[in-house]
Amino acid sequence: MKKIKIFILQLVILMIGVSCSKDRLKPDPLSFFTPENVFVDEAGFEAGLVTCRKQINAENHGYINYIANETSFSDLAVPLRQSDWNKITPSSVIREPVLTFFDNAYTYIKNANTIITRIDDIEWVDPNAKNRILSEALWFRAYWYYRLVNTYGDIPWVGEELKGPKLDYYSTSRSAILDQLQKDLEYALQWLPVTAAKLGDVTKGAVNHLLTKIYLETGHFDKAISAASDVINGPYALMTSRFGSDASKSYYNVMWDLHRCENKNIPANTETIYATVDRADAPPNTWYDGIGTCAMRTYSPCYWRVLDATGNRATNWDTKSGDTLGIGNGDVRTNDFWHYWIWGDKDYAWNTTPDMRRAECNWIEMGESTSEIITVRAGSPNFGEPLTKKYYKSLYDTMDTWYSWPNNKVYVPTPNFIQPWGGQGDWYIFRLAETYLLRAEAYFWKDQTALAADDINKVRERAHAPLISASDVTIDYIFDERARELYAEEPRHSEMVRVSFIFAKLNKDGYSLATISDKNWYYDRVKKNNPFFSPPLYVFWDNTATIYPHNMLWPIPQSVITANTLGRINQNIGYAGADQNVPPLETIP
Amino acid sequence: MHRHSWNFTQNFASDATHHYSAIRILLANNRYRPVANHHFFGKKSLSGRGVCRYQGANRLYDIESINILKDASSAAIYGSKAASGVVIITTKKGKRGKPVISFSSKLGITESYNQRRGLGPKEYIRFREDFLRQLDPAANYNFFTNPNELPADMTIDQWRALSSSTPLDDNIKEWMARLPLFPIEQENYLAGRTMDMHDEVFRKGLRQEYDISTSGGTDALKYYWSIGYDNNEGIRVGDQYSTIRSRLNVNFKIVDWLNVGLNSQFSDGGTNSVPASMNFYVNSPYGQMFDTDGNLERYPHGHSDNPLLDYYRTSLLNKTNSLFANMYAEIKLPFGIKFKTSFQPFYQTYKNFSFTTISKKLGGAANELPTGTREESSAMNWMVDNLLTWNRKFGVHDFNVTLLANVEGNRHWSSSMSNKDFSPNQQLGYNGLQFGNSPTINNNDTKSTGDALMARLNYSLLNKYLLTASVRQDGYSAFGLENPRALFPALAFAWVVTNEKFFRVDFINKMKLRASWGANGNRDIGIYSALAKLGSNAWYDGSSVRVGVSTSSLANGGLKWEKTSALNLGLDIALLENKIDLSADVYDMTTTDLLMNRTLPRVTGFSSITTNLGEVGNKGFEMTLSTKNVHRPNFSWESSLVFSFNRNKIKSLFGDTGTYILLGQQRTGEVPDFTNGWFPGEAIDVVWDYKVTGIWQLDEAAEVAKYGMQPGDFKSVDVNKDSKYVDIEDKQFIGYTVPRYRLGLRNDFAFLKNFTASIFVRADFGHISSYSAALNAGFESNDRWNRNNGPVPYWTADRPNNEYARLNVNTGGYGGGLMIYKPSSFVRIQDVSLAYSLPPSLLRRIKMINMQLFGSVRNLATFTKWPGWDPESGMSAMPRTFTIGLNCSL
Repeated sequence: MKKIKIFILQLVILMIGVSCSKDRLKPDPLSFFTPENVFVDEAGFEAGLVTCRKQINAENHGYINYIANETSFSDLAVPLRQSDWNKITPSSVIREPVLTFFDNAYTYIKNANTIITRIDDIEWVDPNAKNRILSEALWFRAYWYYRLVNTYGDIPWVGEELKGPKLDYYSTSRSAILDQLQKDLEYALQWLPVTAAKLGDVTKGAVNHLLTKIYLETGHFDKAISAASDVINGPYALMTSRFGSDASKSYYNVMWDLHRCENKNIPANTETIYATVDRADAPPNTWYDGIGTCAMRTYSPCYWRVLDATGNRATNWDTKSGDTLGIGNGDVRTNDFWHYWIWGDKDYAWNTTPDMRRAECNWIEMGESTSEIITVRAGSPNFGEPLTKKYYKSLYDTMDTWYSWPNNKVYVPTPNFIQPWGGQGDWYIFRLAETYLLRAEAYFWKDQTALAADDINKVRERAHAPLISASDVTIDYIFDERARELYAEEPRHSEMVRVSFIFAKLNKDGYSLATISDKNWYYDRVKKNNPFFSPPLYVFWDNTATIYPHNMLWPIPQSVITANTLGRINQNIGYAGADQNVPPLETIP
Repeated sequence: MHRHSWNFTQNFASDATHHYSAIRILLANNRYRPVANHHFFGKKSLSGRGVCRYQGANRLYDIESINILKDASSAAIYGSKAASGVVIITTKKGKRGKPVISFSSKLGITESYNQRRGLGPKEYIRFREDFLRQLDPAANYNFFTNPNELPADMTIDQWRALSSSTPLDDNIKEWMARLPLFPIEQENYLAGRTMDMHDEVFRKGLRQEYDISTSGGTDALKYYWSIGYDNNEGIRVGDQYSTIRSRLNVNFKIVDWLNVGLNSQFSDGGTNSVPASMNFYVNSPYGQMFDTDGNLERYPHGHSDNPLLDYYRTSLLNKTNSLFANMYAEIKLPFGIKFKTSFQPFYQTYKNFSFTTISKKLGGAANELPTGTREESSAMNWMVDNLLTWNRKFGVHDFNVTLLANVEGNRHWSSSMSNKDFSPNQQLGYNGLQFGNSPTINNNDTKSTGDALMARLNYSLLNKYLLTASVRQDGYSAFGLENPRALFPALAFAWVVTNEKFFRVDFINKMKLRASWGANGNRDIGIYSALAKLGSNAWYDGSSVRVGVSTSSLANGGLKWEKTSALNLGLDIALLENKIDLSADVYDMTTTDLLMNRTLPRVTGFSSITTNLGEVGNKGFEMTLSTKNVHRPNFSWESSLVFSFNRNKIKSLFGDTGTYILLGQQRTGEVPDFTNGWFPGEAIDVVWDYKVTGIWQLDEAAEVAKYGMQPGDFKSVDVNKDSKYVDIEDKQFIGYTVPRYRLGLRNDFAFLKNFTASIFVRADFGHISSYSAALNAGFESNDRWNRNNGPVPYWTADRPNNEYARLNVNTGGYGGGLMIYKPSSFVRIQDVSLAYSLPPSLLRRIKMINMQLFGSVRNLATFTKWPGWDPESGMSAMPRTFTIGLNCSL
């Protein structure tokens, strides 16, 4: 018996010894990937690029997405309920992504940086694959930095993957960042293909298009012309005849076909340089976000709240009209400059112009007193009659419910949701029509207005708009044309900021870099063209439209400045906290 | 005095409060959940957790005793799982003798103790009028006024003429269109029908709890076996949870040196219904739950989902089965050594199946698709403890040596699938998800491991001087990349003064002085926190689905144990024939290498990184004073008062020094974390925010304009009077979110021989809590719904106040943002009970050992100025429960 006990005692001592091995306590990830087991081959890096390609959908997906927001803060519109810049601060904005765009763009940049930093960590079987992947990552990074420097000005440059905590960032001047982007894109140009193997792949055309914009900013107008020409002479052509899903519907024209989501990424469309991909009929987990483009929600008015003679809604989002007109919320509250004035010229008015972009088939008209939308609510005494302003109780309510809009640009079917907000869909990032307008702009800066007019006329000719002559070419005209052609596609505020910096850098028209926060082309054009900022001022939802020159650049989020406790991220002049600024870095390490 | 289990199991931990002051009780759980989130001795950690762990959920019925260990020395044997203190729950065991059968039954009614109703019919209409006037100040004030309530200076024709179109013939209809009310609202308004969604969401819940047990044994075998059943309804419609549990404790004495046994518990619990949503404030009082055809109204007033939508249309199967067992063997070895080995597996399976049926009857909308998900998971957590003890007395020296070796492993496997759009129809619900057209799969498996070694010596001399010394090594896989293990020593000394011969003070019956110092570790972080993770996503590229990856967390391989060392001094004293019993403790704790999520600037692409940094100190005092106030044959009264407070201080944070501005002063030293509100030298729970003094009034319009705001917005102290609210200049330290003082008072009475009664009152004082409902942030109101933050008062030009802001308030002028805080001190009558025990003579006649009838109330009344639902739960409703019951054994 005693032997047994001593044996047990020995066993116990042995067990204690066994329990101390070190490997037993290694963390063992089971259901998620880590960088160490993914970025080991081409397929792993390609998976990193897949994220970049998906995330660029952020530009045009989601309620009040970035492109919509860029339109709101331009000469064409105001944000419906946030038109007063006194109420937008580094700490607070009610719902426009004025602050969140900053945070999120850096997340997209981080994802590109992960690829860029790790690219040399492995032995590449195919060096071409390495160069192609690196180049594509550089393009995505340049895309988002281009958007940031033309939204916020000087910002921190983050050029590599972060491996540990870092809280000592400083702002880098936007010109230093632009120089870097130029270098990166010139590198990328060598390695990317002319045509994409798969949708979402970045091509030489997309690089040259972005490079054109950056050359304009860095003052290399000849290089800009050459880069744009490479695109124009590449495998692209403006669409001049009917095509795609609705080609057989004679009511429409090619400017309708061009903007159907299902037509943006088809081979028949030779105008697409880069377009995002997001499909309603793909599995839900592949969607960019839960709610799709929200294009109808964000851009279109709440026509569905217009009343009939009984004081009830004449139509609704769930009546028959909702399928094609959607459930607009008027968040991008466009103005009459966009609805009417921009379409007129010496021979035509908005309703007589032959310009297909303002054609009846593409626009929903909310007229002086009645609309082309018909009352369809069952039981309404006005059934079959047009919506009319005459049943409004207060015309104040016309602000978000009554304005004309280009349905060809924002109509997106919404098969997966109850309310027709505008579902998943492909969207243009770069399109050849813009390349022509960029080259026109480069010619303009070089005072070659005849060549500029030729490029602008390429775009106008396709739209059956009256052609212009060299003497008509001004930067304002180019931006009018950009609006007509690129509404809801271009980051309009960013493009206007870009031009403002070119003006200042060239010291043209009295603009200069030193005084840019007090006087800039962006502000002057918004003030001149956007009627909401002239008396009678736009008043809605407790806001009176107010803007100052310094609002050209948006505030850097206070949360970022506050969290960066060991350095100094500058605030833009005019916003609270700018008195703490230090000179920005002028070089990129 | 014996304490009775007069309340429902859910809050068993709170029953321990009478004796242990530092436990904080959360009453909020409507459902049965093991109570978590107690902080013993203050908040030590910045990672915001510090949670007690319970091995399985015990029924109060089965509990023999509850013991709480707080100082680091006595917690040494439990190691890191005791980082926030240990609750030791000893379950009942069989005793030698005749089998005893016991039965207990409780029946109760529960409901929210207070009502926080949304705006009623009149308030709703007025709110809509006020809101529209606020949005469009240029409009004629009376444009929105009810035509029957026009002021004397306006005629009905003038009112009608305010319309920009031909007004409707009927003035009320014209007015309703101006507001604008939805057709359902108009109809109900005209018919005089109103509803209160509060009453649709809340209810009186029935609670039932039954237990039966038998126990007994012989010298060789002792057993205790119980079965319990609960069926508890919560205070909200659809909130229901039922569970069956069985405990079996057996002990076999096989030979005189070998004792083996099993303590086990099986439980099966779950729910089949989805509770009503708390988002009911948006619903109009002029809505309706069902249409005339009996279909559920998706949008009860024409807008905003019905809070009972999911209650009605989602079928749910939520089930947790768990088996916890502790199998042990105790062996007596030579030389006075005892060995105990135990294996403690905890096995749990979990099912959560749900299916949303789409039909018009149940509020389904066109275009909506039925969806279903099935989530199934299982977990196996096991632990092996090997314990060697050696106990020996040499004359006046008493030695007790304990050696512990522990290994644990935790595995969790989870699979979930979902699908939607079923064909040919949705009849099979979650039982037939394969018939949908877009299936998804998700797996999430995890694994963690730990181990521990401990040695402890207890030495007692002459029963007067007690010494405990221990050293413990803990290992955990979350720290496994570089620093899996850490060492935690502890030392304790006690002196029983009253056992000294020289100490002869008549009125002191017992006096003991205690001193201890010890270190303990905290491992409460995600098990994979040290690793860089890649998030994954799917994307469709037009021809195939592709998987994308992106980094979602930063690696920190150096992650290690958070350590707390505590110095504790205590005094236990009994006076006046033990009529007064006082136990008091002071402590000073220092926590280093805190596990925390350090905020990063978002330009990094990350919001934070898990890291070990800094040092936090906690000092505090707590005491328990128990007194026997009256002790007469027919009446006795005992009371127990507990009082405690804790003060903490961030001693260092990240070790980054520099110059910064705080409270308007340039400072040099360690740089704070402004984002989290962590300031070296200040408490963790200090509130750094603007000091709101009221509301800007109309006569201050010029002044408020300088701040970019308008009358009706919040007014705060502008410290440097520069007409700007800048956080680093104007934010101040305005209070603390953790109670400054805590108090508990329990009184027990026995009277008329067979009656006992008790009342327990609890109070927390001196703290404030954020009340975001006052901010009306974003779109609290619209022209389409009721006020979605409920009954928060608001300012208007004609009905100004100086505490709550206007509708559509703007706080954009507040640099760094603004939060509103309200005092959340309270006094709560937490438990009141009365019990009657049958007299022994009667019991003998009916052959019972005992029988007791009782009634009790939990949360009888709460006194507070807190404007939300409850000062402890913040913005969720707190139940009050009335219980009657019967205990008997035979």
